[in-house]
Amino acid sequence: MAHPTRIEPSVLHELAMNRPVSKDRLWTGIAEEGMLTLNSNEFPDRKIEEWKFTNLKELKRTDFVHLDKAGVSPATDIEKYFLPESDRSRLVFVNGYFEEKYSSIGGLGKGVTVGNLAKYAGDEAVKEYLNRLVNYDNDVFTAYNNLMFDDGAYIHLEKGAKAEAPIQILNIYTDSEQPYIASPRMLVIAEEDSDLTIIEDHIGLSDNRYLTIPVCEVKVKQRAHIHHVRIQRDSLDAFHLSRPITYVEKNSEYHSYTITLGAKLSRNEPRVIQEDEEVDFTLDGLVLIDGDQVADTHSVMDHRFSHATSHQLHKVVVNGSAHSIFNGKIFVRKDAQKIDSFQENRNLLLSIDGLVNTKPQLEIFADDVLCSHGATIGQLDPEEVFYLQSRGMTEEKAKEVLTYAFALETIENVKVDSVHKLLIEEVYRYTKANSKPKVPA
Amino acid sequence: MSETKALESMIGEEYKYGFTTDVEYEDFPKGLNEDIVRLISEKKDEPEWMTEFRLKAYRSWLEMEEPSWFNATYEKPKFDTLQYYSAPKNKPKLDSLDDVDPKIRETYEKLGIPLDEQKMLAGVAVDAVFDSVSIFTTFKEKLAEAGVIFCSISEAVKNHPDLVKKYMGSVVPVRDNFYAALNSAVFSDGSFCYVPKDTICPMELSTYFRINNMNSGQFERTLIIAEENSHVSYLEGCTAPMYDEHQLHAAVVELVALDNAEIKYSTIQNWYSGDEDGKGGIYNFVTKRGACRGKNSKISWTQLETGSAVTLKYPSVILQGDNSVGEFFSVAVTNKRQQADTGTKMIHIGKNTKSTIISKGISAGNSNNSYRGEVKISKKADNARNYSQCDSMLIGQTCGAHTFPYIESANPTGKIEHEATTSRVGEDQIFYLQQRGISEDDAISLIVNGFCKEVLKELPMEFAVEANKLLGIKLEGSVG
Amino acid sequence: MLELKDLHAEVEGEGIEILKGVNLTITKGEIHAIMGPNGSGKSTLAKVVAGHPQYEVTKGDILFNGESILEMDPDERAHAGIFLAFQYPVEVPGVTNTTLLRESYNTIAASRGREELDPLEFDDYIREKLDLVEMNPEFLERSVNAGFSGGEKKRNEIFQMAVLQPSLSLLDETDSGLDIDALRVVSDGINKLHGEDDGVVLITHYQRLLNYIIPDHVHVMIAGRIVKSGGKELALELEEKGYDWLESLATVNGEAK
Repeated sequence: MAHPTRIEPSVLHELAMNRPVSKDRLWTGIAEEGMLTLNSNEFPDRKIEEWKFTNLKELKRTDFVHLDKAGVSPATDIEKYFLPESDRSRLVFVNGYFEEKYSSIGGLGKGVTVGNLAKYAGDEAVKEYLNRLVNYDNDVFTAYNNLMFDDGAYIHLEKGAKAEAPIQILNIYTDSEQPYIASPRMLVIAEEDSDLTIIEDHIGLSDNRYLTIPVCEVKVKQRAHIHHVRIQRDSLDAFHLSRPITYVEKNSEYHSYTITLGAKLSRNEPRVIQEDEEVDFTLDGLVLIDGDQVADTHSVMDHRFSHATSHQLHKVVVNGSAHSIFNGKIFVRKDAQKIDSFQENRNLLLSIDGLVNTKPQLEIFADDVLCSHGATIGQLDPEEVFYLQSRGMTEEKAKEVLTYAFALETIENVKVDSVHKLLIEEVYRYTKANSKPKVPA
Repeated sequence: MSETKALESMIGEEYKYGFTTDVEYEDFPKGLNEDIVRLISEKKDEPEWMTEFRLKAYRSWLEMEEPSWFNATYEKPKFDTLQYYSAPKNKPKLDSLDDVDPKIRETYEKLGIPLDEQKMLAGVAVDAVFDSVSIFTTFKEKLAEAGVIFCSISEAVKNHPDLVKKYMGSVVPVRDNFYAALNSAVFSDGSFCYVPKDTICPMELSTYFRINNMNSGQFERTLIIAEENSHVSYLEGCTAPMYDEHQLHAAVVELVALDNAEIKYSTIQNWYSGDEDGKGGIYNFVTKRGACRGKNSKISWTQLETGSAVTLKYPSVILQGDNSVGEFFSVAVTNKRQQADTGTKMIHIGKNTKSTIISKGISAGNSNNSYRGEVKISKKADNARNYSQCDSMLIGQTCGAHTFPYIESANPTGKIEHEATTSRVGEDQIFYLQQRGISEDDAISLIVNGFCKEVLKELPMEFAVEANKLLGIKLEGSVG
Repeated sequence: MLELKDLHAEVEGEGIEILKGVNLTITKGEIHAIMGPNGSGKSTLAKVVAGHPQYEVTKGDILFNGESILEMDPDERAHAGIFLAFQYPVEVPGVTNTTLLRESYNTIAASRGREELDPLEFDDYIREKLDLVEMNPEFLERSVNAGFSGGEKKRNEIFQMAVLQPSLSLLDETDSGLDIDALRVVSDGINKLHGEDDGVVLITHYQRLLNYIIPDHVHVMIAGRIVKSGGKELALELEEKGYDWLESLATVNGEAK
């Protein structure tokens, strides 16, 4: 190992140094890489441009302990989170660890492998791609996940395979006496002409503090299609820092929808990287926050080849003293011609103490492209409110209806019925509770 | 492609202002330390408070780091070999045109800025700044009749110390940023304008900046104060000779608008931009900021940026007064190896404040053109509004266009709308115009001109012609 | 005045032949209608004559007033008197109609040795022409086609034709997107503009336009060739029978699709 640079150690370093030893540890090479990155990089602070608006002080000050010392409660009553459509295509992870007893696989037809990574560690695709798709330079959180994970979710579709049911990856976080850190991991390889739907759910069962760092690697090969729904319903005292990265090959499609509801502080960094021509991808998001929640999305859509269509609709509703941050980068590299990329960030700021920061960002190095972005921050249109009032609604009801309609647009494209319904309920619950601007006590 | 060539020939026209004027300079040591700062102050015969202002700035500067957050890479200026003061030896007394060195007069004639009032555009008063010093200010008497003070900042320090003391550094504090601190320590000269209460300035005011000396940096300082119910329109133009070495231009411009006052500030920047390989050209690192202090005040920036090797410039407005208005209209054209990182800040503090940003970037050659803007609605700025539109046009495949808007709102009654697009000159558009008999070159001119139109129309009439010449574009004529 | 000789053209760089040997002669004072199903190459024909860079002439020739124009740029062809009313007129944001037309008019005038008009004279001149297509003067100051409805764009094309006074007008689907009143106005305009010294080519899918503008000759184009020519009664026959009965003519040589 190289000499670690002199940096100020954080809680991550301390935990990493004292990682419980296990004899038959898998992926020690990846762990070493993680250690190296962790040891040579500072914990980010607001002096860094990418973290200008997101303060990690509280996270940094939290005395996280290893899971085995955290006094975690068992996962109870989690069946209600099982999707009916995924009755036989479900993987459950509790605090980042695979729970076979809750999982159910085998209902997916030919050529579809769904299981825990450790079990398939010998698979060619796992050997070839695990941690090879991750591309978050110098990120201490990805490094920490690299260092700590020893299992995860694995989905592999052979050429031409179609997953007959949506695959649910359910991440449960339980209550604990001490705050802990979870390192969920996911690897999804869709070979040529395959097709699948993934529902990735993160649920905090209590209101305790923990940090989860989900790292997800996705490869969409030629002509394959992936529909990826990500729902974040973490504890309101939790930190959620996710790094989902996707590579799209020729004629493939990747459509992702991220719904952010929970966590005290979340930072979602989705990246889609184009590997060949003729691709189509979506990176939509819906953020509904309240209280003192902070939700940060830093996305990258990297167009490296000609003929791509990409869309990003990121909608945010902020109430209480919540704070939303959005930085959406669209890159169009040299010679990547005929790119049609559209990004829209719309923010609804309902309260006096809420705060919205947005920075849509276009970086274009090719001339035959059509790229645009738009960002708006505002309240509900008073004209629309008035219109509904004139039709007999109370002001409160009018605002509720309009907020609901505003939020609903992003989840319209979610294909799985029960998830669509679930999200509608979540949106409804939020808008009902937030039809009045909140002033914190 | 031929369309690219046509456009390049249009916007990449030979730099016409690259000549050098052969004048004798006063000797002045190179490098920077407290003694140099004192020496500058001494040369300018400044009062003690001004010297202190400079020293304080210098000490701040020493502690500051040169910024690097912008989207440009270049060789950093060598601050210890730069000459911080450069004045022609034959220094005029600033009150009679006859005292101006004929060579310098000739220079301005050649630039199309005759200093002889008879020859000038009627209705435009000019302050001519040659390297570090103000050479001559025209129409002084006529302006004085209206109560308007328009003179070099050096004169203002002597003749209007109270005003300078009150306002200088009040909009751009000494420690604001690295280059502002440097400017505050070593600024050489610049323009000062004071428009008293209830006064509409009777003519356009203009400063024409010319860097001539190869080794000198240029650090001018401009201060414009518009008292209650006053109005002033101001324009600056900039050119420089062609040298192989980079030259540094680090100016500070401060504007203050009180109740119901309006300041319109326009810039046509055509500093030498360097050659095809990026050799030479001006570093244009400028801090420009206006404060709408009074209620219903308005500050409007219009800029046409075509020159400089590297431009870092963000003319901003602090909207303090209730109902105040800030505007930013910009066309930035980059070609060859030019790099421009430019935009604006609109900081909404007062209630019902409004801002508009229209930015048009055109990149060609191997250049990089970035829009960087910040719009901020602070907690107390009820009903603040912003509208921003940032469009980029790319010509050729070796250039880049970037958009970095920072948008923040902390008030639910505020409303911000931002739109940005990137596109190219379309083949179909060119064919359509060609089918109507217009040549390919002219078709591209028309399209580019159309693209920039919303901004160009904001320039004062007197300068629209120069602007169009600069873009190399035939602008639509007087009908319509 | 216009003579197409065994004209073959394909999309540049793609090698797909769209015109497969078109022969056509248009004499001064005539109105020709070219009809045909979608995708038959009618619009391509108009664009090729106007010199669109997307198409490459691989064989044959285009003679205008007896001289080949294949090597001429689109603007030079416009100077020579060829006008194309576009099927989909292009938007040019920021450039007003007046500006475009004055530039056009004066460059064409200069190339023909006519006197250019100063802005005031020009303003008087175009206002006259406005009446011809019953266009609102405010259109003059709007950006070319930007935000125009489909019908307004088409009307604007004929207005431009009126201003530029071409000797050969190619009107590509000028009737589509027009309601019946607008169609009448536009047709009247075209009829008024047409004289014994100029030629008009109407490209249309439907017979409807030909009720208002009576053609001297009607040609049917299918799969890149003119398969049948006749008088105005041919249009009525097509209206009644459609194009199917002519398809067989298109595949006579067994090579076309």
